[in-house]
Amino acid sequence: MTTPGTSSVTGTPETVGTPASTGPLGTAPGLDTGGPADGSASPSPDSSSPESPRGSHASFLSRVPRAVWPLVAFVVLFAVGGLIRPNLVTIDSLIGTATFAIILSIASYGQTIAVIQAGIDLSVPNTIGFSALAFLTLVGPLGPVGAFVAALAAGALIGFFNGAVIAKLGLTPIVTTIAMNGLLFGVILLAFNFSELTVTPDFVIAITSAKISLLGITMPAVLPLGLALMLVLQLVLSFTGWGRSLFVVGAAAETARLAGLPVDRIRITGYMLSGVLAAFAGIVIVGYYQQASATMGASYLLASVAAVVVGGASIFGGRGSVVGTVGGALVLGQVSTLVTVLNLGANIQQLIYGAIILIVISLYGRRRAA
Amino acid sequence: MSAISPAPSFATRWWNGTGVVRLRREGAVAPIGAFVVFFVVYVIINPALLTRFQLQTAANLVVPLALVALGQLIIVLVGGIDISIGAIMSLCNVVFAVQLETMPVPVAILLSMGVGLACGLFNGLLVAYGGLPAIAVTLASAFIFGSLAREVLDRPGGGVTKEIYLATSGELLPFVPVALVWLAVVAVLLWLLLQRTALGRHIYGVGSNMESVRAAGLNARLTKLLAFGLAGVITSFGAMMLAASTVTGDPRSGDPYLLSSIAAVALAGAAFTGGRGSIIGTILAACTLGLIGNLLFFAGVNSYWQYVISALIIVAVVGIPVVWKRIAFAARGARS
Repeated sequence: MTTPGTSSVTGTPETVGTPASTGPLGTAPGLDTGGPADGSASPSPDSSSPESPRGSHASFLSRVPRAVWPLVAFVVLFAVGGLIRPNLVTIDSLIGTATFAIILSIASYGQTIAVIQAGIDLSVPNTIGFSALAFLTLVGPLGPVGAFVAALAAGALIGFFNGAVIAKLGLTPIVTTIAMNGLLFGVILLAFNFSELTVTPDFVIAITSAKISLLGITMPAVLPLGLALMLVLQLVLSFTGWGRSLFVVGAAAETARLAGLPVDRIRITGYMLSGVLAAFAGIVIVGYYQQASATMGASYLLASVAAVVVGGASIFGGRGSVVGTVGGALVLGQVSTLVTVLNLGANIQQLIYGAIILIVISLYGRRRAA
Repeated sequence: MSAISPAPSFATRWWNGTGVVRLRREGAVAPIGAFVVFFVVYVIINPALLTRFQLQTAANLVVPLALVALGQLIIVLVGGIDISIGAIMSLCNVVFAVQLETMPVPVAILLSMGVGLACGLFNGLLVAYGGLPAIAVTLASAFIFGSLAREVLDRPGGGVTKEIYLATSGELLPFVPVALVWLAVVAVLLWLLLQRTALGRHIYGVGSNMESVRAAGLNARLTKLLAFGLAGVITSFGAMMLAASTVTGDPRSGDPYLLSSIAAVALAGAAFTGGRGSIIGTILAACTLGLIGNLLFFAGVNSYWQYVISALIIVAVVGIPVVWKRIAFAARGARS
């Protein structure tokens, strides 16, 4: 059957919302003004009419897909960086920021999938750690490709358990994935012999930290890899029945059930994809930084949710895109670059991250029913 | 009527007594049962728990987690969740430790409580009056409060003294750790507040049905704001107990408590949609989760198993009632 969300796909890969995404919520002026939230904006996403009382200007803005705003904000921040330090506007600087951002993005793709279906995956950190260490351990007996497949399969299994407990037992996603995160930490500490895990296989280096030349620009291989993954995931989310039904389940699970969608199966497969992507992130992080530890994923617990939220996803589900997540990661990455260049220190960076999240949610994070 | 029906047995009457009904309704029976089983196993494996030194050590380990979990519980009762609770704890912890270097003890305590209150009110204002989702607001404030904590004190240190350690983490009487006394004081006051005052009933009401509370003419937003503020203050108690028992202030000391406080509230049977959760269940859940590592140590098992076992306990204690209800429902359906 056709899912209700399919009708909203207008052709651009960035257009990811249900019909509600063209509502007046999009009239928020984006991050570039940095101004306070416009309290008069109606927070009701149910009014799908594009006719905004603020006339054609607002109506045009409301049609711009949300995923564009973080990218706009990134460009503005990049320009601001250039005004402060003109030597920042170089290809190298851009590539540096983008590489940082794409690694955060790869770690946040799975989180995006979980948030779209009105869940959250707090087991991302230790899924990253588990898959990275499992990969390094299995490279010896299975070879690099076998170990790669095994690590992704482990991610799928982790996601399956998350999804099954959430969908079948009805436990809250937050509690389920926190429990899974704890369980995985125990398994990581019990199962792996850290002293033997020092050699990163060439295969992984080749797809992550190895420098390649693309269009005459030298960049680490992880950058095109992450962008290609973004493209594939966005196409799956926007143009496949499964991808569209993920949005429906996230926006209104009960409606989806009444419409005959196999909600439990969609939930479980959603968490499986989330687990696979987190596992993939683990392998990428090992390849790029060439080190692995039990707590290597810890910093991605809040950062992955931050990238998804800054990317314009609704924490209540039913709205979000991987393109937006990459945009969110780029914004956070550019802030990090600026803070480093201006020598402000890591604390200020965290403070700005918090402020950015507050600005973004006050622009379009209003509670649906309030 | 009463002459015909047989008088209920003592057991039935006890089971239907108001206190027990309340515990059942608040989902506290499963965590209390889990704690009793856990405690019996613990004492069988390690009877030395009941010695003075081990009781004191165990209390110091468990009390900060129990207090932070109570803070998290209050947020969960009004239908929210606090991702920033670890950062609030870190911030209160370092404020307390740093102020002790220069200020008298009561001033340091008040400042730390004030910081906890301010953090809670900051979150509460944005959630209650800004209409923003608690999970997103507290994600943002987790970054902000965490960075402030490291701004106050960038590495472990501060002026916590031996006297403060004795006042919070020593022994009041033989076999009575002071930490447990402080926890009991906070728990009883909190229980009185939640069960015996209008504000407390409003907190449960806002979590169960915000619209009804509002329709009844009560100030639902103010209730939410006060709940966040109260949670911040209780979190600062946990932070001060931690600083005192470790005799140091640490800007990252609160980080592990984010996930474990949520785990304890989940194990306590609280509903994350709000309106249901008990104080005694939360405290006992925190004790269970906090002492698993010790139990494994004394049982001669690799204590890394504690992470696996904690996760399984949470899923079992929270999941089994759900499965049980479903089976009972299916069985009833089959009979009729």
